[in-house]
Amino acid sequence: MSDNYEYILRTEHVSKHFGTLEVLKDISLSVKKGEVICIIGPSGAGKSTFLRSLNQLEKISSGKIFIRDELFLHRENDHTVDKLPKEKQQELLLEMGMVFQRFNLFPHKTVLQNVCEAPIIVRKEKKEAVEERAKELLARVGLSDKANEYPSRLSGGQQQRVAIARALAMNPEIMLFDEPTSALDPELVGDVLTVMKELAESGMTMLCVTHEMGFAREVADRVLFMADGIIAEEGTPEEIFTNPKAERTKSFLNAVLEA
Amino acid sequence: MKSEGIRKYLKAIIVAGVIVLVCIILGILKPGRDEVLSRTSPEMQKMIDADANSSRKRVTVTYNDMLVISYASLSTSGAKVMSERYVGFLGKVYPADEGAMKIVGQMVNYTYRMLGCGENLMHGAKLTILLTTLTVIFGILLGTILALGKISKHKVLRHLSGMYIFFFRGTPLLIQLFVVYFTVPGICGFAWRDLFPASDAEAVYKGAFTAALIAFALNSGAYCAEIVRSAIQSIDKGQFEASKALGMNYAQTMTRIIIPQSVRRMIPNVSNEFIMILKDASLVFAISLMDITTISKNIMTSEGSYLVFIPALVIYLVITAFFGIIFNKIEKKFSVYE
Repeated sequence: MSDNYEYILRTEHVSKHFGTLEVLKDISLSVKKGEVICIIGPSGAGKSTFLRSLNQLEKISSGKIFIRDELFLHRENDHTVDKLPKEKQQELLLEMGMVFQRFNLFPHKTVLQNVCEAPIIVRKEKKEAVEERAKELLARVGLSDKANEYPSRLSGGQQQRVAIARALAMNPEIMLFDEPTSALDPELVGDVLTVMKELAESGMTMLCVTHEMGFAREVADRVLFMADGIIAEEGTPEEIFTNPKAERTKSFLNAVLEA
Repeated sequence: MKSEGIRKYLKAIIVAGVIVLVCIILGILKPGRDEVLSRTSPEMQKMIDADANSSRKRVTVTYNDMLVISYASLSTSGAKVMSERYVGFLGKVYPADEGAMKIVGQMVNYTYRMLGCGENLMHGAKLTILLTTLTVIFGILLGTILALGKISKHKVLRHLSGMYIFFFRGTPLLIQLFVVYFTVPGICGFAWRDLFPASDAEAVYKGAFTAALIAFALNSGAYCAEIVRSAIQSIDKGQFEASKALGMNYAQTMTRIIIPQSVRRMIPNVSNEFIMILKDASLVFAISLMDITTISKNIMTSEGSYLVFIPALVIYLVITAFFGIIFNKIEKKFSVYE
């Protein structure tokens, strides 16, 4: 695969509606390799929907999605205008790892099996090689000793770290985090954020929908503030957190940071 | 690991071991065929001795050996009709022509016949269990296909599955059995027994069994479809999303992630379906298969013994209890991750 691209991920005028409810309005975003972008904003702003549209868990209504400068999907008025052939699409989608709010680990498989499943089944890799890599990943998220446990025996924070290792096992170029700490008890949030921080420092391209303002401030290269289906404001953490321009951003940050 | 497994089942192993031991002891102490026959009346002894040296047999001996207890019935034909019955138990032979021993003897005899002892698989409880087990296996396979059809994105598949389920749940199993056994070969011009070589004495039974299995499996498939569908739909949507995000296709998601999780949720309902089929299997009396029910009915009609239905009920209960335990064990095994 060529590394000759300007943006690893780019959207142009992406819109999405559920019935008459417009969730995303004309969202354009360009992501460079290695960038860490945090998306903040009030509930119902469309943050999760936007993230889920990127890896096709939701179908956009109109707009274009580019991956590595290639037109991945182009839809207008709920009809597909242009797209890559299915196999090529599938291949590019594997470059996006996703971490969910509710972990979504496979409960009937052990931690190690959870991590190994997709590389073996989807990428058809050798079991021994995958297991070795999986153990390294589990060590990286601090869960080496839990390899043979079932997810139900783990705390929420541990489950989420397994979910991160599971996504990383596919060697993705971009990681999408959909409110990864929102379902966790407060004292478990730290461990997950530490893993995410290390991941960001290692040069991974990341898109995080999050309510952890401290994390966004510390780790993000760029912060997007979304409200009512649009990107209301965008800038460095410094700009957004200390000197927000839009009224909507100011009131949101006041409300969140006071609490 | 191994010793842990043994300890877990220690109680069950001890109970089973004691039962087996008692049965072996009772079996050894039980008087054998020759011993029972040697205790018959002097007249009967003479007849038996005469038969031994003659090509023309006048004594009919029925000997039922039920592991711990035995039952012999002797009757003669010819000028002087005699009939005698005996029960052999714990080293003693008891006359069973009247009183409590008569009832005991009858129960042993009926149970022996309804279990299909001394007969091939096409008889008695063996037939019932074989038919039920195969029906459930094929029913689940068919039901899974129908369930996937019913939740499919393709309208045609959804409607086909829906119509199939509607038809088989909406008509009586007995008539479905008649259609498979009589109507289908009638239209297509074949006979079920012709599926087996003419030299096979059991061809008629085997043909009827095949027809019954097909009818039962088709019917059970419709019920299992609903069991499988509701189990699949009870799985959290996040499991589908996680699979998709990891790049798995529909078939991989279903076979590796969704169906394995659904299995555990299906087991209580499949267990229920199994018991229903076990009882529905008695409908094969209508195509002259010799299952527990048919045999008990035949005994009632030919020998007028109204007590025969009591051991019939007990046999059904024992089979149900046995499979109930097995399904419980399977459910536990599949729940290990919860």
